[in-house]
Amino acid sequence: MNIIRAPKHVVAVAAAMALGSVFPLSGQAAETLRYATVGEPPSLDQHVVTSDLATTIAHHIFEGLYTFDGNYEPQPLLASGEEVGADGKTITINLRQDVSFHDGQAMTAADVVASLKRWGEHGSRGKLLFSNVSDVSASGSHSVTLTFESPFGPWKNLMAFINGGPAIYPERIASNAGSKPIDVKDYIGTGPYKFGEWKPNRHVELVKYDGYQSPPGAASGYAGERIAHFDRLRFIPVPDPGTRVSGIKAGDYDYAESMPSDLIDDLDGDADSKVVLNGGPIFGLVFMNSKAGPLMENFKLRQAIQAALNKEDALRVSIGPEKLWRANGSFLPKGNAWFTESGTESFSEGNAGKAKSLAEEAGYDGTPIKLLVSTNYAFHYDQAVVFTRQLLEAGINVQMVVVDWATLIKKRAQPEEWDLFFTHHGFVPDPILISVMNDNYPGWWATQEKQQLKSAFTATNDPAARKATWAEIQALIYSQVPTMKTGDVYTYNIASPKLSGIEATTLIWPHFWGVSK
Amino acid sequence: MLRYLIRRIGAFLPTLLAASFLIFVFIRLIPGDPAAVMLGDQATPEAIEALRVEMGLEESLAVQYLRWLSDVVRGDLGDSIFFQVPVLELIVDGLETSVLLALMTMVWIVGFGLPVGMVAAARRGSWLDQSLSGMSMFLASVPTFWVGLYLILIFAAILGWLPSSGYPSIFGEGGLANLRYLLLPSIALAAPNAALIIRLTRASMLDVYREDYVRTARAKGIHPLRVIVRHVFRNALLTVVSAFGFTLAALISEAVVTETVFSLPGVGRMVVQSILRRDYPVIQGTILMIVLLYLAINLAVDILYAWLDPRVKLR
Repeated sequence: MNIIRAPKHVVAVAAAMALGSVFPLSGQAAETLRYATVGEPPSLDQHVVTSDLATTIAHHIFEGLYTFDGNYEPQPLLASGEEVGADGKTITINLRQDVSFHDGQAMTAADVVASLKRWGEHGSRGKLLFSNVSDVSASGSHSVTLTFESPFGPWKNLMAFINGGPAIYPERIASNAGSKPIDVKDYIGTGPYKFGEWKPNRHVELVKYDGYQSPPGAASGYAGERIAHFDRLRFIPVPDPGTRVSGIKAGDYDYAESMPSDLIDDLDGDADSKVVLNGGPIFGLVFMNSKAGPLMENFKLRQAIQAALNKEDALRVSIGPEKLWRANGSFLPKGNAWFTESGTESFSEGNAGKAKSLAEEAGYDGTPIKLLVSTNYAFHYDQAVVFTRQLLEAGINVQMVVVDWATLIKKRAQPEEWDLFFTHHGFVPDPILISVMNDNYPGWWATQEKQQLKSAFTATNDPAARKATWAEIQALIYSQVPTMKTGDVYTYNIASPKLSGIEATTLIWPHFWGVSK
Repeated sequence: MLRYLIRRIGAFLPTLLAASFLIFVFIRLIPGDPAAVMLGDQATPEAIEALRVEMGLEESLAVQYLRWLSDVVRGDLGDSIFFQVPVLELIVDGLETSVLLALMTMVWIVGFGLPVGMVAAARRGSWLDQSLSGMSMFLASVPTFWVGLYLILIFAAILGWLPSSGYPSIFGEGGLANLRYLLLPSIALAAPNAALIIRLTRASMLDVYREDYVRTARAKGIHPLRVIVRHVFRNALLTVVSAFGFTLAALISEAVVTETVFSLPGVGRMVVQSILRRDYPVIQGTILMIVLLYLAINLAVDILYAWLDPRVKLR
């Protein structure tokens, strides 16, 4: 009996599978954008989480008062404009009156005040702004007034940067949330897509918000008109890069992020995919310990380490194709308003002789210098290997401590555990957002010279004065060496050629309003 | 038999208790914590500390362990720190993928490994035996991820016959047709394991061939095929069945490379990702379930063993 019955089941399953092949599940594909991600975000709460993947998904759901246009200039999004007081310390932001949350409630000043307060208290980037804010309150049903202790130049840039930024949540959610990321059920924003579902290990799905009111103006960067063409956006974790490439070619995905650098030449000319460069480069940073160890206050020894490194060699080894990296010492890339060559003559000297003499002047006695690096990011590890070799050649006794990323984050908070640690930084549109500017970021660079320049940098709204001060700060970074930039890396994504509305480069994170298939 | 079963299941408890303690302690010996991973690179130590307190991670390990254990006894494995859903829900979802993948892989292993092993043994020393042995060595040597990537390239990207990756549940939209998502991964996963079964079947059968009762059967003039199937294969199967049990358990819990390459939401990948994120409740719950699975499969193999060989008494 069993012998006869078993094949029937097999035949039934085989038939079902065959039918599936003949009639693939493409009924939903026409209205769903399928995005292959490298993994899953820790949370979509933009106030406290700074993961780029989280923002790639979340900036379709949550919006801030401002956002960046194609030239990285902040433009109103939920705001309609602002009035700055004569003393530069009072800013009244007027809100758009046509905005509603995904739960149908109209957005008012109460929502904005509660969101800004929570961001200022618990967001790592919010603290930067709110360390100088004495009050935030509603000055009308659709206007909010920020009062600063002293004029604060980068306020609008900080407001416009949604990653770890001031997304606007309903008042009841923002005021009840603490330092913990908000619950999934509370993912209620004002964006063109609302949260649909998060199936762990499978996908995060967003659904078009039919009540969305687009901001006015022509689309530019993240600013201007936002039209949702897809009914759903589905973000699917596909950890293997080879599978992401094959998935695009097979038509299983429409967009795939973080492609391997060595495939760029093959994919660039491929008819089955379209290369999308990330416009804002990421850059490696090697932080030095200002709290403990041999590098604590020994700027000469830091300069010796800096002089020993040839960043170009490390970039070539770790990234490969030259179109994907620049040995650029400026913290912001060429073409950006903040680009400056100030201090960059020390960026990549690769001069072992100079390093040796600087180390001698510094009184370096061969004490081991611990370089903390993670294997989770291949380019961190590859560059660290090159740097270790270069430093040993210069007589600097560097010892790599190789750990996973979670361990690195834990250890770097303990000053006695490391002297140097390797990380990387995403592109930011204002230097105030670079981690080295944060006195509390591991490395803990907070010298008097820095404080003076930082105060001058934030105290004015004048762009020319701020650029000049930034050039001085960058020169100070190359002199006191709290961190070493290791060069710009341009990551890239690929898109199905069927997508229209996709630009050749992303501003920072890809966005899918204005995109169709 | 019933007393044997009760005794064996009773013996599970101390094993599970010891496993729960070891899992709980070992995962916390690794530096790093979920609060730091969750908040990301820009988070300050103060923000991480505040979140740790809010998550209850600042309490003593003994308090945390006892609370978790008392919840487990009540059937509550806790909630995932990252996904904010019950761990049991995640495990059940992961097990659907892993168990189906393992069973489909076993179909290939049994359907391919056993006959090939039998043929190799029956034609021992011939060119066919040499070729099949060579092929099994090749299958055992090729890395699973390499086989997987080429299967994706050929059958998904070039021919477009099968999906490249992912697995939607058979209980959702698409139903049983979604099993086609597991075809390529199961073939990739079967390759090295089938090689093992081929080698094992061949070796076991050759051992049995030398037994007196086989010579007697052949001397009586019984058809060679009947000798192979009824006298040699059935007795050789005892060794192979033991291997099936461990292979099945390993396929469910250790298919992490295949699950990563094919982007399958199985338990292997879930455990690895949870370790990287330090999602303690998921790691603890999943590994505990895997321990339970191993114990259950071990028991099932012992029972099957007794059924296949009446000389084996279960005491």
